[in-house]
Formats: sequence, structure tokens, C-alpha cells
Amino acid sequence: MTSGTPRRSDQPRTPQGKVGKFFDERLTLAGPMRKQLNKVFPDHWSFMMGEIALYSFIILLLTGTYLTFFFDPSMAEVVYHGRYVPMRGITMSKAYASTLDISFDVRGGLIVRQIHHWAALMFLAAMLIHMFRVFFTGAFRKPRELNWLIGLGLIALGIIEGFAGYSLPDDLLSGTGLRIADAIMLSIPIIGTWVAFLIFGGPFPGDVIIGRFYIAHVLLIPAILAALIGAHLALVVRQKHTQFPQAGHTEHQVSGERVYPLYAAKAGGFFFIVFGVLAALGGLAQINPVWLYGPYNPAQVSSGSQPDWYMMFLDGSTRLMPSWEIRLWGYDLPPLFWPTVVLPGIMFTLAGIYPFLEAKMTRDTKPHNLLQRPRDVPVRTSLGAMAITFYMVLFLSGGNDLIAHAFDISLNAMTWGGRIALITLPPLAYLLTYRVCLGLQRHDREVLEHGLETGIIKLLPHGEFIEVHQPLGPTDEHGHGQLSYAGTPVPKRMSQLGAASPLKHIRGFFYPVKEKPEIQAQLDELEAAEVQERDTQHVLEGSAAGSTHTGED
Amino acid sequence: MKDDFDDPLTSADLGFEPAVPVTGADPQAKRNSRRRGGLRRKLTAGAILTGALVGMGGAYTLFAGTSGAADSTSSASDIAAGRQLYEVSCITCHGANLQGVKNRGVSLLGVGGAAVYFQVSTGRMPATGQGSEQYRKTAKFTDQQIRQLAAFVQSKGGGVNIPAGTVRGTDADIAEGGNLFRLNCASCHGTTFKGAPLTAGKSAPSLNASTDLQIYTAMLTGPESMPIFSDNEITPDEKRAIVAYIQTIKASDDPGGSGIDRIGPVSEAIVIWVAGIGAIMIAILWIGAKTQ
Amino acid sequence: MSNEFEVPSEEELREMTPEQLMIVGAEADGVHIMHRRDRFPLRGTKAEKRAERGVAAAFTLAALAGVGFIVAFCAMPWHWHLPGTPQNFRFFNIALGVLLALMLLGMGVGLVLWAKWLMPEEEVIQDRHDDPSSEEDKIMTEGTLITGLADTGLPRRSLILRSLGLAGGAIATVPLVALVGGMIKKPGNDLVETLFKPNKKLFPESGGRVPIVYDDWRRVSPDDLEPGGIATVFPGVHAEIDGVNGVTSASSPTLLIRLRPGQTVEARKGQASFGWPAHKPEYVAFSKICTHAGCPASLYEQQTTRLLCPCHQSQFEVLKDAKPVFGPATRSLPKLPLDVVTAADGAQYFVARSDYVEPIGPGFWNRK
Repeated sequence: MTSGTPRRSDQPRTPQGKVGKFFDERLTLAGPMRKQLNKVFPDHWSFMMGEIALYSFIILLLTGTYLTFFFDPSMAEVVYHGRYVPMRGITMSKAYASTLDISFDVRGGLIVRQIHHWAALMFLAAMLIHMFRVFFTGAFRKPRELNWLIGLGLIALGIIEGFAGYSLPDDLLSGTGLRIADAIMLSIPIIGTWVAFLIFGGPFPGDVIIGRFYIAHVLLIPAILAALIGAHLALVVRQKHTQFPQAGHTEHQVSGERVYPLYAAKAGGFFFIVFGVLAALGGLAQINPVWLYGPYNPAQVSSGSQPDWYMMFLDGSTRLMPSWEIRLWGYDLPPLFWPTVVLPGIMFTLAGIYPFLEAKMTRDTKPHNLLQRPRDVPVRTSLGAMAITFYMVLFLSGGNDLIAHAFDISLNAMTWGGRIALITLPPLAYLLTYRVCLGLQRHDREVLEHGLETGIIKLLPHGEFIEVHQPLGPTDEHGHGQLSYAGTPVPKRMSQLGAASPLKHIRGFFYPVKEKPEIQAQLDELEAAEVQERDTQHVLEGSAAGSTHTGED
Repeated sequence: MKDDFDDPLTSADLGFEPAVPVTGADPQAKRNSRRRGGLRRKLTAGAILTGALVGMGGAYTLFAGTSGAADSTSSASDIAAGRQLYEVSCITCHGANLQGVKNRGVSLLGVGGAAVYFQVSTGRMPATGQGSEQYRKTAKFTDQQIRQLAAFVQSKGGGVNIPAGTVRGTDADIAEGGNLFRLNCASCHGTTFKGAPLTAGKSAPSLNASTDLQIYTAMLTGPESMPIFSDNEITPDEKRAIVAYIQTIKASDDPGGSGIDRIGPVSEAIVIWVAGIGAIMIAILWIGAKTQ
Repeated sequence: MSNEFEVPSEEELREMTPEQLMIVGAEADGVHIMHRRDRFPLRGTKAEKRAERGVAAAFTLAALAGVGFIVAFCAMPWHWHLPGTPQNFRFFNIALGVLLALMLLGMGVGLVLWAKWLMPEEEVIQDRHDDPSSEEDKIMTEGTLITGLADTGLPRRSLILRSLGLAGGAIATVPLVALVGGMIKKPGNDLVETLFKPNKKLFPESGGRVPIVYDDWRRVSPDDLEPGGIATVFPGVHAEIDGVNGVTSASSPTLLIRLRPGQTVEARKGQASFGWPAHKPEYVAFSKICTHAGCPASLYEQQTTRLLCPCHQSQFEVLKDAKPVFGPATRSLPKLPLDVVTAADGAQYFVARSDYVEPIGPGFWNRK
């Protein structure tokens, strides 16, 4: 059908050709399939962060399916008689007992459990950094606002999915978190008690919550996540990738490598690398050792109880919240409501409306396929830095008891420090980032105007020392560069101009490869021809410089 | 082992009045009614314990918090040696007659040998400076010297003495000890014994360096912020089970690789962001880099 | 651009090499191969062989690690043992993880190296087809939509429109009602009552007042605790009520505190006699369930009488009747009214004179 089909005949003779013919006659694949094989992916490293999340999700499905073979999501009580001696004879839920069994009585069960949990942390971390990349480069702008919203939905659902999974072992740590979740539901005005009783099937803890969280964790939420991931990727395929501005990159095209074979090999390889890193973590670093925490018991608690990292910002906001309780017409609005329901609501809403807000403020209605360098959009970059700072203060406050303990700081001081930092640091981050953006912009302009610093100091006849600057392009009579800034990285070192990296590089990792003299001669010839071709091309491109980005305003 | 469990606490304590008068209920009645649902009870140990308690003097029953086990080996020479040590290292703050010195040190009359053992063996005493909270340091005295000091303080007004014999339960007690630990101790010291900050700069220490006897005497005497867990509330058997649990878990290796200090989600967060995301970012930069 | 591209005839195509066909096919898809270069234009050079060996080495490592994994999985000791016995089980997980990682990384690195070292490098540009819909398309689609709607007659047949709306609403609501209706539980008194509520049938000896017990059902006696001692105590209700008894109920854990000499509680209004002895309380009992988010607030400092909740660091002053003094909590911990009863055998034990007089645990909307 494609490569296997012999030429000059419409009858396939090879086995591959026959298989191709079989499917093509039934599915009419030749055209659409070639189109997909030829799809172009940008090869810049920053486009791979979303892939980490995608692969983590696949790994979560694989390891999670394995865990369902052994896990029993029941809150019925049993007396433990497994291999872990320090729990023998303790009454616990079947959920906790089966988690101990996975860890101690299933050969290789522990590593799968650990990979699953590490993959969950990785899934959310990857989504977050992917979101940062999209935000700071302006990839969320029209026409991609819908995908930005889907992405936010994925993060929100991912957090819920993670929390549900974290709760399943029914250990003392997660049970404490579940009790707080119950309190959060209770804090919702008017319907709070009904919501809590609906979800827990009665007063906390009841005997249904693990079973309900289980079906949500293994079926409902993963199904929605998978559907949203599908939609997210379908939109990427439909709208194609964005790309950084660069010579030859326009709004109407996307450049990179084709799926088949280059990108498929790299992406396939990357899947295994992500899996490998998670396997290494699962083997080397113990995660969520529930046997040390004990079974859940509402009378027990451990100091230093924290949720997984993606929930820690909510724990932090709850800790920093002052003790404000509002009484309304004889009804109660508990202090827990603001930091755990209202605050994340505001955070996600702001993130959701940001693309539309920015478009409105900048009166920008055009579609954009070329990205922006963060320094070129100082307001957005500074807003992002401000948001991240706000999040970081909350995140660190989620572990402020451990910080206080490790550095011997008063807990009360940590709380006050967090409260003050939450208000003062984000505006500071805004101002600082703004200054840095402007400084970087100025430096770019300076290099374009005066050229690169070469590090060569020249003594002029009248005794003055000057540093020789290498102009980047044609100069006017004063020696000032005539290139204008085009949104692309400006070379800042001579080596980036190719001054220090000769085309004729040396192959070999530990020692240079020495080819036979006659082969080396042939190679030299080939390379010389290539260099010549490249130089001609440069001259051609140089004359077109400056007019490359007409697609951008 | 259980035979050590004898309490010949002598009339030395008669000179000491408990700080709070308590009604004289018979402790035996309560002990006999003890059950621990779902847990294996060591009935034989309970019987021996009951027998030992029957032999106690009436003075002891006044003493709700006295340990069920006490050191019987303190001799006159120990007390004399203890006095010498006291006069060199403790007298400045606690006074010549253990009555305490204002703004320096509390009275040691009636604090008992167990408290002395805990404070001195963990290096908290002699204190380096004034302060509501003392931290663990290297002990200044040998175990023998500490016991001599304890014997001396015990001889002045009695109090809760150092328990004799083993203070760690057997492997069969570990699970029960774990449950008691999580109910009574984990709220401050944490399920993995890391300790925690308390209010306004105070803290509950880590149990990592604690010995059996230090844990036991801490429960008995409630040093500093720590509440006292009397033998009527948590029986000596239960205390030994708690010690067994703590020391077993501390000594056990982590089955899942490095325990990353057994801190839990915070250290896991650091690992995923630094090691996990870090390793993958390196991979991404490598994959995305142009090959020559 | 791709629209302008004319696909050569079948005859012409049959004359082409596969690579030419690939380029033509890409052009037909709007994909332009701008630059394509064999990394080893000369076959069989040392450098090429070395690159090939490098890729093969990565794949071989993966295969060997896989074999190693199977051997480790089957042969290594992995049963958990108490300390004192050989702790060799700890190597099992590490070995599995490292070998699994080597296998996966070998595969991944091999694939990437293969692409980076051996496959021809290329720079390809693909046209976007994201121009806005053409005016013609928009007009025709609008017409199609309008005609279709007119065909259904909905705009004029308001009867159908309304009844359809009702039917749709019913179909959307019924599953919701069926699902939520099955799950709904009326909050009732669960949030304001605990098992400390007096029960004359169960506890005739104490006049219905619920005995206070430890988690092993031992009754708590007034001389159990030392001054400065604490205990987590429960209502001594053995009977299972709604699946929980006194010790397992999530609302009943209570912190019994025996104050040190000289520590006196400034009681809240009407609660001065809740401690024991009533005239000069030495024992006080507070709900262990934090009024902020429901964690057991139990980090008690016996000298400074502060009580800390480990989850969000609310701090309560026990001598002010567990009033919150720091952190997010807004309400004092509910106080349990204590009394002491002498049993028939003369033993004394604590009872709760009544249930808590206010709801325990975190706040909620209709909390009084």
C-alpha cells in the first residue's frame, strides 16, 4: 500500500502488500493513513511536557488495572493475619488489609503499588508544568482557548482522581484527609450537610465511602479523563501545534518532523523513558507506606499529616485562614468554606477566563499559531509569576509544620509568615518579573544594535581600549545593526553564531572516530559541498530577513 | 523476665505527699476488668502483674502514678555516689536540698528516679541554659552515674522510680503496642516517630534516638509539655508493648526502597519534583536537542 | 499551497522511487520536506557502525535487564521479617525497580538514539488548514440549518416545542432523581448527638448516664490519671447503633484531661460544673474532634495547657475552656459534663452527666 507496494504493478506480490491491500479494500486507508503518517510535530523540547502527562496516565491505567486484581474496596472489618507482623491481630477494614496484602503478600505487588502512586504524582506535576508552558508562551490564545479549558478540566479532575485514590487504602493518613473532606462538604452553605450525607451515605465515616470512591477512581473519573484527553489530543491534531517564531516559521505552517518514522521513534522512546523513571522511583523510593500509618481510626491522628502534593495548596490555604466565622440570620458559615471551596473556585475560574480576558484587554481577535517569548509579554509573564508565587506560598504552608520542625521555627511564626507572604510576595513577584522582562528585552535590542560582545579587547591608536562587537547583520554608517527584533531568540554568545562550533564536528563519545583515509577524503568532500550549499542558502535567507514574520502583527 | 516485675517500693516514699489527693480506689478491681478487644492478651503476664500488685503496701495505692516496676538495686553507696554527682553538677540550679532555686531550677523533691533518668540520660539535664524547653544532647554521665543520681533523688522524697527489668515487650506485643502508640503518642510524635512542632515554638521530639528506658520513663513522668501516662491508664505491660512497637519499627528496614526519611507526602513531593520531573526534563532536553 | 499541488499521473508515479513517492505523497498532503539529509551519506563508515552498535547496545541492555528482572522476581527473598532476622527482603523491591527501569530505559533510549543517530534528519513544514470557513460555506450551512429547523416546524409549533421541552426535562431529571434519591440521607440528629446521650435502658446503675471508657472498654476511674495526664476516652456503649459502637463512632472520641495543681479552668457560662469535682474541677473532658475540620485535636501541652490540632494548627487554651487562641478554628471544643459514680463493688468510674450540649466537630450551616 505504501512502501511495501512494488512499482509498475497494481497487484501486490509481497506479503506486506497483500495485507495492505486487504485492509485498503475494506477501509480505504491509503489516503487518510498517509496523511496521518506525514503529520508534522514540532521538535522543540518544551512541546513534550504534555506527553509526560499522557504517558503517566497510560502507566496509571496499566498499574491500576493490576492493583484492582488484589484490592478489596470494602470497609467491612477483618482481623489482619498477614505477613506484616506489627499489624497482626489488629482489626481493620478489608480495604486496608488488602493494601497490606498487596504490599507484603503479593510478590511484586509493592512495586506496582509504588509505581502507581509515583505515576499519579507525576501525572499532576506534568500537567502543571505543561500548563505553565502553554501559559507563558501564549499558546492558549485564539484559536486554542477551548483546549485550555479542557486542560483545566483535566487538572481539576486529576486532583479529584488523585485524592480518591489516596483515600482508598483507608489508612490513618488518608482517613484523616477524608475526615477533612467531610468537614469541607459540611461547610457549604445551605446544602452542605445534605451533600456530606449523600456522599458518605450518612454521618462520617459510614461504611460506603471507600466503595464509592473506588468506583469513581477506577471507572467514572478515568473514563471522563480518557474522554477529555482524547478531546484534548483531537483538538491538537485538528488545530495543529503552535511553534516558536524563527526564520522560516509562519502563522500558516507548522514545522518539525513527521510522525513516521522520526517522531514515532522519539515519542515511543519517550514513553519508555517516562515509564523507566517511574519504575526507578517505584523501586528506589518508598511511597505511602500505609503499614507505618496504621488503619484509620477516628480517634487517632498523626502529627505532620499532609495530603499528596497536589492537594497541599488547599491544606496550606486552610492553615493560613484566619478564624473568621460568619453568622447569617442564625445560620453558620464556617471558616473552612473560604479556603477550600471558594478559593480553588476562584483560582480555577480566573485561569479559565484568562484567555478571554487577555484577548479583551489587548483587543486581540486574531488567531495565533506563533508563540511569544515570555519576555515579550511582560504583563502576562508577571501575572503568571504572581499566580505561581501565590500558589507556592499556599503549597509551602501545606507543609509548614514540617518546615517549622526541621528549622526549629515557631509554628505560630510560620502561620503568620505565610499569611503575610501570601499578601506581599505575589505583587513583589509581579514587579520583579516585569523588571526582568524589560531588562531582557533591552538586552536583545542592544545586541541587535551593537552586535555581540566578542571578548576581544582592542587598543586604539589614541590609547583607548574598546571591545570588538560582532554585528549580527548589515550595519549602517555608524556601525549600528539594522536588524529589527522579530520575536526570536537573539544570539548572545559567539558560539551561537557558529564561531566556536565548526560544522566538521567530531563523532564519537569516548574517543574520536578515525575513518580510513580514503573514506575520510570522501567524507570531507561531501561536507565541503554541504557547507557551500548552506552558505548560499544563508545569503538567500539573509536578504529575506526581517520580512519573515509578516504573519504576526 | 516477668519475675523482675516486682515492686518492693519501700517506705522511703512515705515522706512524700502526692500533689493532688486522690480517692483510694482499689486498682486491682480495674486491672481485673481489663480487656482489649481483638488483641491477644497475655493472660499469664496479667496474672503475675496482679500478684505483684497484691503485695504492695498501702502507701503505694495512694500513688496513682507510681510505676508497677521499680529499681530495687539502689544501695546506700549508690545514693552517696549520686549525692556527690549532684553536688557537682546539679546543685547550682536545684539547690542543696533539692528544693529548687528561684528562676534557675525546679524542686526535685518527689520527682522520682524515673524523671531523673529521662532528663539526664537524654542529655537535657544538666541544662545548657534557661528555657522552657530543653533539647536532646549527648548525655554527660554514664548509665551507672545516671542511676546513682536517680537513686539519690529518689531517696529525697520518693516519686516514680526507674522500672527494673526489661521495659520492652515481646514480638507478640508489637501490634497492640502499635495501636496504643497511634492512640496516645502519634498525635505529637507522629506515626513514624519524627516528632512535631507544638504551639509557639515548643516541640515534641523525634523518638529516633530514644532508648527503651527513655521512652518508658518519658511515658511515666511526662517531661516538659508531654502529658503523664500513669500505670493505671496505660499499664506497664501496655507501656512495654508501646516500647516494643517503636523500637521494632525503628529497627525494621523499608521494604519499598529508601524510606525517604519516612516523612510522608512532603518528602514524596520533593522527590517527584526534583528527581522525577528533574530526570524527565533532562530526557526531554536530550530528545529535543539537535544532533549534529 | 497543497491545493495547487497537482498529483502526477499514475503512470508517472509508477516510475518513481519510493523516496520520490514519499515526497510527492507528502506534498499532496500539504507537507513540504524542506530539508532531508542522510546522517551517513557514505554507507559502512566506522561512525555509522558505531552508532548502530550504540543503539543495539541499548536494546540489548533492555533485554538483559528483562531477564534479570525475571530472575530477581523468581529467586530473590521478599518476605517481610521482624528486625533481628536478616532484612534481605529490602533488596527485592530495589532490584525489581532498578531492573525494570533499566529494561524500560534501554528500550526508550534505544528508540530515541535510533531516531537521533541513524534515521535521516529532516525539516518538514506542514500547511495549516485553519483558515476561517469560507463565506460560501457559512451561508450554505446557515441555510441548511434554517431549512431543517423549518422542516421540523418547531418555530411555529409551540405546542410541540413546549411538550418536547418537558419530555426532555423529564428524561434528564429522572435519572438524577433516581440516583441522588437513592443516595440521599437526611442529616437528622447525627451531627448534634453523640453516644454520650443518656440511656436508661443500657445503664440503669448510673441512672442512664453513659460510663466513660478507654478504647478497651475499661471504665475510667478518677484516680487513673496523674496530674498532667490525658486519656482518649469514649462512651461505654457496647451495642452497635447504626453500625458503630461507643469506641468506633467517629463523633465520640473525647480527651479527658487531669489538670495539674494550680491550673484552674475559667469555665464558659453555664458550664462551670462540667468538670469534676464540680466545685473545683480537676478533671475536664473536651471533644477530641476539632471544631475546624474534624481532626483529633490532641497535642496537649500539660504545662502550658495548650491543645494543638495537627491538621491545620488550631490552638486551644484548655484553661479558657478550650477556647481557640490561634489558627483557623473559631469555636471552643465542646465540653463533656462529667460525674463520678460508685459501682456496686465500690469502684468509682466517670460518667457523662449528659451528652455534649453543643454539636461536636466542624461547623455546618444550620448548626445552632
